[in-house]
Amino acid sequence: MQLSDRVTGAVLVVLGGAAAYAGSRLPAVPGQDVGPAAFPMLIGIGLVICGVLIALGIGRSFEVEEAEAELPAGQGARRLGGLRALIPPAMLLFYVLVVDHLGFLPTAAVIVLVMALALGARPRLAVPLAIIAPIFVHLAFYKLLRVPLPAGLLPVPW
Amino acid sequence: MTEMLEAFRMVAAPDVLVAILASAIYGLVVGSLPGLSATMATALLVPVTFYLSPIAAVATIITASAMAIFSGDIPGCLLRIPGTPASAAYTDEAYAMTRKGQAELALGAGLWFSAIGGIVGTLSLVLMAPLLAEMALSFSTFEYFWLAFLGLMCATLVARSSPIKAIASMLLGLLIACIGMENPAGTPRFTFGIPDLLGGVEIIPALVGAFAVSEVIRAMVTPEPPPLPRRKFGSILAGQWRLTKKYQVPMWRGNLIGIIIGVLPGAGADMAAWVSYAMSKKFSKEQEKFGTGHPEGLVEAGASNNASLASGWVPALLFGIPGDTITAIAIGVLYMKGLNPGPTLFTERADSMYALYIIFILANIIMIPLGIAMIRVASLVLRAPRSAVMSVILLLCAVGSFATGNNLFSVILVALFGCLGFVMERNGYPVAAMVLGIVMGSMVEQNFITSLIKSDGDVMPFIERPVSGVLAAMTFGALLWPAGVWVWRRFGGGRLPAAETPR
Amino acid sequence: MSGISRRSLMGSAAALAATPLARPALAQPRWPNRPVQMICPWAAGGGTDAVLRIIAALLEKEFGQPFNVVNRTGGSGVVGHAAIAQAQPDGYTLGIITSEICMLHWQGLTEITYRNYTPLALMNNDPPGIHVNASAPYKDVKALADAIKASRPGQLKASGTGQGGSWHLALAGWLVAMGLKADHVRWVPSNGAAPAMQDLAAGGLDFTTCSVPEARAMLDAGRTRTLAIMAPERLSVFPNIPTLKEVTGVDYQTGSWRGIAGPAGLPAEVKAAIEPALGKVFQSQEYKDFLNARGFGLVYADAAGFARYMEQADKSLGDAMKAAGLAKA
Repeated sequence: MQLSDRVTGAVLVVLGGAAAYAGSRLPAVPGQDVGPAAFPMLIGIGLVICGVLIALGIGRSFEVEEAEAELPAGQGARRLGGLRALIPPAMLLFYVLVVDHLGFLPTAAVIVLVMALALGARPRLAVPLAIIAPIFVHLAFYKLLRVPLPAGLLPVPW
Repeated sequence: MTEMLEAFRMVAAPDVLVAILASAIYGLVVGSLPGLSATMATALLVPVTFYLSPIAAVATIITASAMAIFSGDIPGCLLRIPGTPASAAYTDEAYAMTRKGQAELALGAGLWFSAIGGIVGTLSLVLMAPLLAEMALSFSTFEYFWLAFLGLMCATLVARSSPIKAIASMLLGLLIACIGMENPAGTPRFTFGIPDLLGGVEIIPALVGAFAVSEVIRAMVTPEPPPLPRRKFGSILAGQWRLTKKYQVPMWRGNLIGIIIGVLPGAGADMAAWVSYAMSKKFSKEQEKFGTGHPEGLVEAGASNNASLASGWVPALLFGIPGDTITAIAIGVLYMKGLNPGPTLFTERADSMYALYIIFILANIIMIPLGIAMIRVASLVLRAPRSAVMSVILLLCAVGSFATGNNLFSVILVALFGCLGFVMERNGYPVAAMVLGIVMGSMVEQNFITSLIKSDGDVMPFIERPVSGVLAAMTFGALLWPAGVWVWRRFGGGRLPAAETPR
Repeated sequence: MSGISRRSLMGSAAALAATPLARPALAQPRWPNRPVQMICPWAAGGGTDAVLRIIAALLEKEFGQPFNVVNRTGGSGVVGHAAIAQAQPDGYTLGIITSEICMLHWQGLTEITYRNYTPLALMNNDPPGIHVNASAPYKDVKALADAIKASRPGQLKASGTGQGGSWHLALAGWLVAMGLKADHVRWVPSNGAAPAMQDLAAGGLDFTTCSVPEARAMLDAGRTRTLAIMAPERLSVFPNIPTLKEVTGVDYQTGSWRGIAGPAGLPAEVKAAIEPALGKVFQSQEYKDFLNARGFGLVYADAAGFARYMEQADKSLGDAMKAAGLAKA
């Protein structure tokens, strides 16, 4: 998702403006002359200024102009193209929605499997990984650190 | 003297030694796993300490946190995913070294100079605790404000490309820090009616999302990079002595800055690392090499953040005032075990005090062999298929961020910050600056507003107080430096050393 | 089927069938027959967390089942308190609730009040103290009170916690009890007691109103003095600190309390089992030693007493919040 500087600058201006506006609506607090509105407004104004400068291309670099040492974007994208970028956050949301019902081990296995396959792993790597990794993680967090991971459908023997 | 001997005896107790070893390994492992962090490692130890003897309990906290702060450098160097906010200051630098094939030099520098920083910091604790405490106590909210502001300005000093974008990232971080009701007014801000946001955005989910998840997303949309040549990792420590001799000044400067910043409650390893990295760059004779894989910054920042850890215990032990979240947890454990912070710890429980010092030094010494082992193990990850590594990292992100507060909302935050971090990096906005803004935001606002309340709205004390004045001057210097350089370049003519290296 | 007559089979069947009816007279699976989760709305390592851990450990010894402490932090306590109130009332999720529950709803931050819980026992209360710098001119709290009355509104500065926190309300309540306005002394919000005590020692504040255990390190170091506590009687761990009533005659008391509770509607069996157990825990030497080591106040009330205590605290904190202009509901 490489956007031009104008676009990101504009986004910053809008964000800064929204922040300053929302901040200004905050009620003052008795006993404090400088209330909770001050900082959001200051930051909002700062963001607006930065956004304008960036959109106008000022102050790109005061030092060496750096070439982006980035790997080529998206050329290796297979099936879904740019949508692949959404898979990791989607997996995290999946975890939040499902873990209390399915339990930790199944949810984790699904996540690892989907991610590994999406990243190009062969099934003979992805499937064993999806089975073993959640077990280790569960052992470490549940047994060792006493973090309550939900049991759900597949309660663990330990 | 008898107390010293008693202290040695206490530390030599088998349960303490086992605790130190176990928590060292624990700290190393947890700190180096992306998705987890030093603070999380320490917080998760608290239930365990309940069952340990007092010295063993404190030993686990000290050792685990010292190890985790160092091992946070490992994933930063190898995967560009910092394990702790402190490592975020020089992650890009370390990763650049890895790409140049100098991973073991970078990690070795991190290890060696962390150990040195930790030992020097401990010595400062032992020898100068009362003096440092006096200094810490003389810092009031005015001084803290400028210090926090100065810390923020480091984001501009280390920006490799556009400083404006770095400032914008930092402002974004500050804005995120405004969320919640943890502000001087106690007014909920930007919570959108979500109760989980009342406490603000916690730094761990933000860090994990912005660095780790965004890296995973990036792995999704870029082809697998050519595997680094399969060669065995060379000796980790070779070359460290040479670095020590070459960069003596940065190392001592890092130690000093780390000690001073660490001693001030509220300013911790994160800030120490940032300030030191920025200073290293500014005072270096080879400034243009920074960012391309240059160890000098790693030397100074690595020493600084471990030194600050040790000196952060000064206000904690003397007054029960936490320097950062980790020491806050440690203070809680001290109380729980009957080792109440305060002068009684130095007078009536002096043997326990000396035992703590010994544990500090011991932890930093065993950091070296254990750290080497950890680095070798971690380097295997460079050889593992990316699909496996990234998948497990994502899982760890989910579980790790859930684990600290047992709150699934943190996982949602991680996902959001992952998207944000990815978009930012794609467009040249340094994510580390945003993280710095989140970490420092409340410190800046808190001290600004409380100072104004105390001075009844008068802004003069911000500049009149001596230490404040000095810090203010430094801050404005840092703020206007980039602008000054720009003006100089534009209008000053071409007598400047050629900084334009062809690419 | 030779040898076993149908009648005897029927007889045995009838006997077997009758056995479940006889069961209630024997021991049913009693509560607790599996691990119990105890929720702490505050962070690991903090005061509330420490108190809950010692209680959980002692309950575990009493009942033989694990009592696991789970920290559910966030939202300045709202998340954890909500988790306790909304848990299944089966007795396997309990928690520790703190005085903040009587404050949060007044600020409109949640709908949950103390009535959403089954109170089980009050286990601790820490009254606020009044601390000044060691070199301050006030030799006792009466001198400070006089100085406050003589000062301009907003001239003196105090701190101890964040805006609207327990100690801020304590100051507001005390000022009102003295006949002054709730903001006669300017409150400087701080991120907890430790930074406030540090500022006090550095000379940036006139006094603080946090609890004595929070001020203890500075007190022991001789940097600050504690003039009085706002409590009905002196604390056993700090017998030299007088109460406000003794010295000034103004009887204002409040405190930051902690108690064990479950969601509303806990079964009677659970209550009958745990209430006396908590009483035993309170009386135990380990609990006393633990709290005394930290200087926490050993205050106890049984379930009914706890309910009354919370009702009273809710009203008194509500009044203080209204006086300080912080209440929205």
